[in-house]
Amino acid sequence: MITELLSEIDDSAGRAGLLDDGARREIRRATLTAVCVPGYQVPFGSREMPVARGWGSGGLQVTLAVIGEPDTVKVIDQGDDAGVNATNLRRMIAGTEGCEESTDSRDATVIQTRHRVPEQPLTAEHVLVLQVPVPEPLRGVERSTAECDRMHAEGDYAAIWVSLYEDLVRNGVITRSTGYPVLVDGRYVMATTPIPRWDVPRLHRSPHLSLFGAGREKRIYAVPPDTDVEPLTFDDVPFEVEGGHEQQCALCGSSDTFLVEGGGGRTICSDTEWCARVAEGDADLEAHAKQAPLHLLPDPARRVRTAAPVTLVARPEPARRPVVSAAEWTLQVAGLGKVHGLGGADAVAGTGPEHGTAISPTTGAIVAAWDVGFDVAPGEAVGLIGESGSGKSTVLRCLVGEESPTAGVLHLAAVDAGATDLFTLDAAARRKLRVDVLGYVQQDPSAGLSLNVSAGGNIAERLTAAGWRSYHAIRQRAAELLDRVEVPLSRMDDPVKTFSGGMRQRVQIAKALATDPALLLLDEPTTGLDASVAAGVLDLLRGLLAERDVAAVVVSHDFAVIETLTERAVVMQLGRVVEHGLTDQLFADPHHPYTQRLVAAARR
Amino acid sequence: MGYSGARGGLEAILAAERHVRHERDHAPVPWAGTEQITARFRLAVDRVMGEAGLYDEPTAAHAFRQAEGDTLEAAHLVRAHRSTLPRLARSEPVDPDEMVVLRRIVPAHRTPDGPQLLGRTSDYTGRLLERPDGPPSPNGQVPAPVAQADGERRPRRFSAMLREMDLLVDHRTGADPEPFDVTRRPARPPAPRSAVLASMARAETGALVGLWYRSILGPDGNIHEVTLGEVRHGRLPLRVRHPHTGRPVRIGTFRATETEALEDLDGAEEDRARFDLGYGLCFGHNERKSIAMANLDVACRRFGASLEQVLLLTIDGLDSGGFLEHLKLPHYVTFRSMVDRKLAVRTTGERVRATDPLGRDCR
Repeated sequence: MITELLSEIDDSAGRAGLLDDGARREIRRATLTAVCVPGYQVPFGSREMPVARGWGSGGLQVTLAVIGEPDTVKVIDQGDDAGVNATNLRRMIAGTEGCEESTDSRDATVIQTRHRVPEQPLTAEHVLVLQVPVPEPLRGVERSTAECDRMHAEGDYAAIWVSLYEDLVRNGVITRSTGYPVLVDGRYVMATTPIPRWDVPRLHRSPHLSLFGAGREKRIYAVPPDTDVEPLTFDDVPFEVEGGHEQQCALCGSSDTFLVEGGGGRTICSDTEWCARVAEGDADLEAHAKQAPLHLLPDPARRVRTAAPVTLVARPEPARRPVVSAAEWTLQVAGLGKVHGLGGADAVAGTGPEHGTAISPTTGAIVAAWDVGFDVAPGEAVGLIGESGSGKSTVLRCLVGEESPTAGVLHLAAVDAGATDLFTLDAAARRKLRVDVLGYVQQDPSAGLSLNVSAGGNIAERLTAAGWRSYHAIRQRAAELLDRVEVPLSRMDDPVKTFSGGMRQRVQIAKALATDPALLLLDEPTTGLDASVAAGVLDLLRGLLAERDVAAVVVSHDFAVIETLTERAVVMQLGRVVEHGLTDQLFADPHHPYTQRLVAAARR
Repeated sequence: MGYSGARGGLEAILAAERHVRHERDHAPVPWAGTEQITARFRLAVDRVMGEAGLYDEPTAAHAFRQAEGDTLEAAHLVRAHRSTLPRLARSEPVDPDEMVVLRRIVPAHRTPDGPQLLGRTSDYTGRLLERPDGPPSPNGQVPAPVAQADGERRPRRFSAMLREMDLLVDHRTGADPEPFDVTRRPARPPAPRSAVLASMARAETGALVGLWYRSILGPDGNIHEVTLGEVRHGRLPLRVRHPHTGRPVRIGTFRATETEALEDLDGAEEDRARFDLGYGLCFGHNERKSIAMANLDVACRRFGASLEQVLLLTIDGLDSGGFLEHLKLPHYVTFRSMVDRKLAVRTTGERVRATDPLGRDCR
């Protein structure tokens, strides 16, 4: 029995394949998944190949998984069939798989390539296998792989858009050279392996299947035939391919191919097969010219004028928007509770102002907030006031989605007309609300801003997340906002880390307002600032709340801030609401002794 | 078709291969037989088996010879060979307490249960270079055999004593999930501990040691110096389920190195009245690797996410070495595209602002 089994194995080993059949099936399954979800990086159990990681081990596995004896394989590196890596891979594939090999793209059914798409227009008969060194297009803007996975899952691509915005601000052009990021099928951002920009448009709605294999990072992804592949660029910033210097190939005379240095100051086609066939008159020049991206050659006249100052068109102040919703509130929260530690709701007994502690006598848990409820009318500002440790910031963090509450419900008029309890939504849905429904200003501007990004770029982050795709419109909007918060426009393109604390806070406020959210959440917005700077920011906020139809929740320990900004206020002590009412009345005639203390402190 | 552009490359490759073969295989010296290599270069063979994740001394020795002594290259040969083979069975879990020790030390205790057994090691021998003229003359000094009593062969762990004294944090949850198979599924954070341990067991030794030491003297890092409770090298049984009876049968033994490292817990949320235990286990005799692994295991549990990504994704020698060496491949298409952008930046006539880019990509 065993010997039979062993001899069977010996027989199959006679094929001397580079992969056993189980592995082939696994890789084929991953490849099929990739075809079904265009642009999505499918993890697979990448095997070790006889070539090093980074030398095409992923492409080789994909090729071996899809190829069979009736196939003809072609392998190129930099467009060249004679490249040593291409040669090595080709002889390995043809030598073990029993398929034909060819250097003619028209004869090949599977073309494995590194860094190029062949010049020969491909057809539905072709499978193009691209070797991928770095499959993650977000790696540059996000180092954590888990966070990159989350961004793909949620379609959260603002960071890469901001990187393009910043690139234009810094350089006047997008300087990404190869591996240009593309949006596939309107869903996933994908790295186009390091093929030159010249080849990127040639993947768009192409008749052939493109498969991408990353062996080291253990990912396979695909662009099925006739799929949208759009390079990420702003609507008003043309995507540029290489070239435009009136060059042509010194060997075949082509001027509609990707050219590389050919020595002696000459340029030659990188695709050696195409070059040779053009020289011999064995090439369909017309079909090739039709799909060459000549319309995307750089046109300096169409480039953006970045450093030219944005001029503000004098526009009338936006009229207060009429209240669209018939709802009586923009936000309504009821029964909100948050317990840190053991026991949940059972830990609440024995805590609160009447017991003088927020620590549960039974479980030791901290009852940060309990039974907190209030609503905010459209256009109204409500204050949450209390000493530090009173639970007001906990309440705000629950509202914004940074903490999940132990109890309570939260409704926003802007979400399902107030029908949905936001606390039942998952983290991804909560994050989406922060794009255009909730504006959030934190006490520490560095928590709400990317300090290495320019002031304009920080605002662009919100706008691109909300779907803005016009570079000039984004700059115009950012300039208007920065002007409104009194940040000089000459500083718009400077990184926020070079700004003072007060100026950073103004940028954060501008960012929070960028998408005209229905609700603004302000957490101690002036606390970290010098007194005179704080007064300026407070003035600004008062003006903004007055001129805009935005509801606001303002958290502060300082009754002066609450008094300046809000119409109504809720007083919190040890996690409970101890008093609420019109801010003026609370300030003029506080009932609760705790409120009286807070008022006295503000009047000192 | 007149185009035959592929010829030049192939000839160059074949010539390079002939060079290697000629000078390696036909050097005018005696042939290094496989037994020579397994007997005289035991630690190199063990290292290849560990980094390849495949335990077979002759296979590792063949690879070591073919790779001209480059252990990483040899591990690559073994792993690529493994890719061609079907998987016939899965080995049964091994209880490391079954290890018959060939060497065992307990630095944390003067007189632990069982022996402090130095075994075959040059740890305590002066590093004096010997330059013999020829093979040493035979002598009669045969080392005493390893202890035979079971308590000596399978000593009780030092950690068992600590558990009795209730000095160890107990992470055993009772759940016994299937270990993560890093050879079949890509491990990405967040991943179970078994995935991190398996990644380290196959890692390049130098990568683990470097990562550990970076924390000791580098500008950052959370990895502390641990106290070693156990360092062992010994034999473990290999069992698979019999295809007919379904019962585990022993089909061989393999050597492994095992380490238990004691970590002094001092964090806010940690049990400061107890120690934590880090674990290391790898094929063959490779104490450096096993000790670094145990130390990194406990550091990963304590200091989490970023170290987890490092351990899962950056310590494999084939991955890092291959990617480094891929820089030798032609990159003239990508470079030409980069030159194009340099020229474009010049022609915009914009003043270049003194700001850093947001994000830098690999290409």
